[in-house]
Amino acid sequence: MNEGIAGKLAKQFINSKITPLLMVAALLVGIMATFMTPREEEPQIVVPMVDLFIPFPGAAPAEIEARVAKPIERTLTEIPGVDYVYSTSMPDVALVTVRYKVGEDAEKSMVKLWSTLMKNMDKMPQGVQFPLMKKVSIDDVPVLNLTFWSKSKDPYQIRKTAVEVADELKKIKNIGDVEIKGGLKRQIKIVLDKQKLLKYNVSPLQITRQVQMANSQMTSGDFKQMNQEIVVRTGKFLESASDVGNIVVGIYGASPVYLRDVASVVDGPEEVNNYNFFGWAAAAPAGSDTGEYPAVTVTVAKRKGGDASVLADKVMERVAGLRQTVISKDITVTETRNYGATASEKVFTLLEHLLMAVVAVTIVVGFFLGWRGSLVVLASVPITFALTLLIYYLLDYSLNRVTLFALIFVTGIVVDDSIIIAENIHRHFAMKRQPKLQAAITAINEVGNPTILATFTVIAAVLPMVFVSGLMGPYMSPMPIGASLAMIFSLLVALIATPWLSFRLLKTESGHHEEYDVTKTGYYKFFNTILSPFIDSPVKRWLAFGVVGLMLAGAIALVPLKAVQMKMLPFDNKNEFQVILDMPEGTSLEQTARVAKELSAYLKTVPEVSSYQYYVGTNAPINFNGLVRHYYLRQKANMADIQVNLVHKGERKAQSHDIAKRVRPGVQQIAQRYHGNAKIVEIPPGPPVMSTLVAEIYGPSHNEQIALAAQVKKVFIETPGVVDVDWLVEADQKVYNLVVNKERAAFRGVSAEQIAQTLRMSLAGMDVGLIHTAHDLDPVTIQVRLPQSDRTSLHDLSGIFVQSQGMGTLTTRLRAGEMIPLSELVKIEEKIQDKSIYHKDLRRVVYVTADVAGATESPVYAMLDMDKKIQKIKLPAGYSITPLYTAAPSTEDKLSMKWDGEWQITFEVFRDLGTAFAVVLVIIYLLIIGWFQSFKTPLIMMIAIPLSLVGIIPGHMLHGAFFTATSMIGMIALAGIMVRNSVLLIDFIQIRRAEGIALKQAVIESAAVRTRPIILTSGAVVIGSVVMLFDPIFQGLAISLIWGGILSTILTLVVVPIVYYMAEKKADKPSITKKS
Amino acid sequence: MGIPIKKKLLFLPAAGLLFLAGCGNNEVQQIKSAKPELPVAVENIVPVRTAEGAAGEAEILLVPKSAIVRKGELTGILVVGADDRLSLRWIRTGRLMHGEVVVLGGLDKGEIVVGTYNPKLNEGVTVIKSPRVTKEVQKK
Repeated sequence: MNEGIAGKLAKQFINSKITPLLMVAALLVGIMATFMTPREEEPQIVVPMVDLFIPFPGAAPAEIEARVAKPIERTLTEIPGVDYVYSTSMPDVALVTVRYKVGEDAEKSMVKLWSTLMKNMDKMPQGVQFPLMKKVSIDDVPVLNLTFWSKSKDPYQIRKTAVEVADELKKIKNIGDVEIKGGLKRQIKIVLDKQKLLKYNVSPLQITRQVQMANSQMTSGDFKQMNQEIVVRTGKFLESASDVGNIVVGIYGASPVYLRDVASVVDGPEEVNNYNFFGWAAAAPAGSDTGEYPAVTVTVAKRKGGDASVLADKVMERVAGLRQTVISKDITVTETRNYGATASEKVFTLLEHLLMAVVAVTIVVGFFLGWRGSLVVLASVPITFALTLLIYYLLDYSLNRVTLFALIFVTGIVVDDSIIIAENIHRHFAMKRQPKLQAAITAINEVGNPTILATFTVIAAVLPMVFVSGLMGPYMSPMPIGASLAMIFSLLVALIATPWLSFRLLKTESGHHEEYDVTKTGYYKFFNTILSPFIDSPVKRWLAFGVVGLMLAGAIALVPLKAVQMKMLPFDNKNEFQVILDMPEGTSLEQTARVAKELSAYLKTVPEVSSYQYYVGTNAPINFNGLVRHYYLRQKANMADIQVNLVHKGERKAQSHDIAKRVRPGVQQIAQRYHGNAKIVEIPPGPPVMSTLVAEIYGPSHNEQIALAAQVKKVFIETPGVVDVDWLVEADQKVYNLVVNKERAAFRGVSAEQIAQTLRMSLAGMDVGLIHTAHDLDPVTIQVRLPQSDRTSLHDLSGIFVQSQGMGTLTTRLRAGEMIPLSELVKIEEKIQDKSIYHKDLRRVVYVTADVAGATESPVYAMLDMDKKIQKIKLPAGYSITPLYTAAPSTEDKLSMKWDGEWQITFEVFRDLGTAFAVVLVIIYLLIIGWFQSFKTPLIMMIAIPLSLVGIIPGHMLHGAFFTATSMIGMIALAGIMVRNSVLLIDFIQIRRAEGIALKQAVIESAAVRTRPIILTSGAVVIGSVVMLFDPIFQGLAISLIWGGILSTILTLVVVPIVYYMAEKKADKPSITKKS
Repeated sequence: MGIPIKKKLLFLPAAGLLFLAGCGNNEVQQIKSAKPELPVAVENIVPVRTAEGAAGEAEILLVPKSAIVRKGELTGILVVGADDRLSLRWIRTGRLMHGEVVVLGGLDKGEIVVGTYNPKLNEGVTVIKSPRVTKEVQKK
């Protein structure tokens, strides 16, 4: 027998001293890599996304759209690598978001964007201010949130502590951004007294100027004296409230007017601009307080490449250390998010899963090969994983839920090569035809080459998944890469380590010395009785094919019958979710806080909720979702975020998604009572999108778009299963336009700018500088403003005075310094605030968003449902619209609608996976042609692929699971595994026939001999996957592998030999006659 | 196949315990009796008063100055809910008018508040309204 590569390799290593050393070395580096690879929750996706804020004070949205947003969008789309450009034109500011193609280098993209932007700044209209650029990356998501709350202290005091702690935390190595949410800063408030200002003839603008001038200090130079240099410094910074109060701001009669004469100077907390509270809920630890307490949250992000769990541990340690010094006893620090712990937990859960899978597989192998055989397999698996983990480390992958997913996924597959080799050595040892060493090498030779081929078929099956594009790409790519690497390592281990181990561990049983005869084994008898009737009788054969065909058709029919629903990814079981509350624009901060409080009071009663925090006026610490949805901009008075923390998933029965579904009606009922809109936002299992369901409405005019959007929104609300319906059209907000009477203002010697500045100072307040203290960590600003009680209505506004500039303005002959009431110079117009205008890829768009839950969990079915209703909408123009699915409309002349959101990603993923599957089939076909040198045989082998559907689809129905992207991955991988089974089967038939055995005999013998390794390997896949069944996300994959594996294996063992027999029968007859 | 499932189930509570041990070390444990609190009779319960604003202005809401709760810079008021339970509401206040404070945000017309803040009154306490208030509310 000539030796293949496999045989040669095995011969080299089977008795080499280097083999055990290699094995130990591989194990050690693997263990080291496991500890050195950073652990984190989410995969590192490089989706360069940049937000550009371009301020254009005073401009209305329509003007911003035309003069700022559009020109910038146009230039930005020219940048190579830009995927999408979105823009929002709001009053006073344009927000342009640029999304690069996945995988583009973040730094280079920023540079390109910056240079393009700068090149075109000359095209911007006058008044446009310098743009602000913000890169959004996954590392901006805080990994650790510490909420400081207190029963006795107020937000101002708590923030002070939080700032000090944050300052300490910043010193930790590898820490990223540390931010503080909520609380009130220290501020020197100059609260103007209108009456006194008038009395002393001082204008607010004058005060600003005087404070700014008084607050200066500089080094003026030096003297040289007695061989020494003496530094001269002039001026003194303002250091306290009394310093500020002592500034002379004017003159009245003959005496100076101090600031404290016309305003009260208060050193203390700034005016309330946020309401952040913390509270324990129903599932809080026993003995917790029941109320809700003012809270300040410190968020900690990690640096790129850092390990979340290590960082979290270090931070917690430091906080514990600060408890004696910085943090006073009446402030409690509660950990309200720790992605480090969850990441670690995920990693350890996976390692446990791996261990269980390996143990389970070992037990199965033990059944067939005895404990020594199972020991061989047990030893080879850790080596394979160790090497794969090493490669992960070298490729800069972190251990996150996706790379771990890749490892679980291959658990069942990587043992196969070793099983096949060990099994065959075992069989040959049992046959006792040759001496032990010789038997081992013969055994390896016999299966070595088909094993190599089979390994490459599996790699060919998974590798094309690398080419999944879009946001899902980075989620998927570690899987094919990891799995392929693991396969190659497992092959090497099978050819190098397994023979060495088998040779030493497997024993030739002494005792029976009789010649091994395959026809006497149970397997042979079994397959003889099963296969013979089909081989002998064409009628029975066709009947069998008919039955299999019917099963296949029946299985596929389950999909259109909606017995099995398609969904991108199911929800993971998380320990948190958020409630996002949007009150109508123009709602006061207090009203929003009140609704948030009421929502929290309801959420508090949910038995699984352990704690909650609500954030009004500032955004909640963002999660993965908020990154893409721009939740960090949620700082307006009408918005509130409620962070809901659940008890650990091990301590509750309900999945987080079910809890979210359960609380939704209650939450929405409360929000609706106050005309608000509340959404339950869960952490997405895959890439985040704007919303699960998004309808983009395009059209010739904004008003028509909004009108259609309103109708689409109605359809959304009416459709069962569609929840959290909202649209990105603001509610009407009242605006007072103060129009300056230019002639009168000119005549009185007042400029329009002066009026605008005075008003801004009075209403919003104006920061006029900082006080310079040594011990405050937050900068302390000096703010000039009217007291709250003096700025409540238009009536109050008219009591504000501006000072005439007199002849200095060249428009009047009046004396300067006269105080003129504003009401004399402005006319008040009441208006509705202009609505923001959204663009996507240069087209004006109105978004309607929703989520799906309850009646249907998959957006696709909801979309199909709504399509019919949307088509029925009567448009004023007289035509109807048909929602588009894949591409934006070619024209904006007509109203049109496109589906987006999760659908877009689902579509891309299933399209790419489908393409990958097609490529897989072709590659497998080519590989087998190369091996068997036949065009027909590969087709017979590939029959096994569709047969897996017979198991996969009903399997999903049985478990009540969705057919997800992971199911699809399972199906594709299974194609490789099943073809490998066929390869092993047919390879043996051909070997036997080459030895001169009759076709029928060879077919049955092959089934009998190969059953054991096939069942063993498929069994390994099936059992290795069982642990995944409990994970909501990997469930689809597990079902595909388990049910597809079982059914496909059984059918392969029967159908493939019969088909092969049929195909070869005609060609075979002459050869038989020749031989006989 | 049965073995791995059982093992997994065993692991979960173990992991849960670890998690709890990890995050529970920060809390100040306070023992509080869980018995439901009895209704409390509160003397001075008044409805939010509405008044004509200044010329040409919308109505304004007024509450007694004594009703205001202060916590640092936060200003609040105890509101009697529809279920007669007290809840602390954060409000924004405007100017003083004859011993009453103008409320700019956080309160609605027709709500009932505790007229004199008593630090002993806790959130969530059920109050008994005096007949006078009820009558006044019904009149509105």
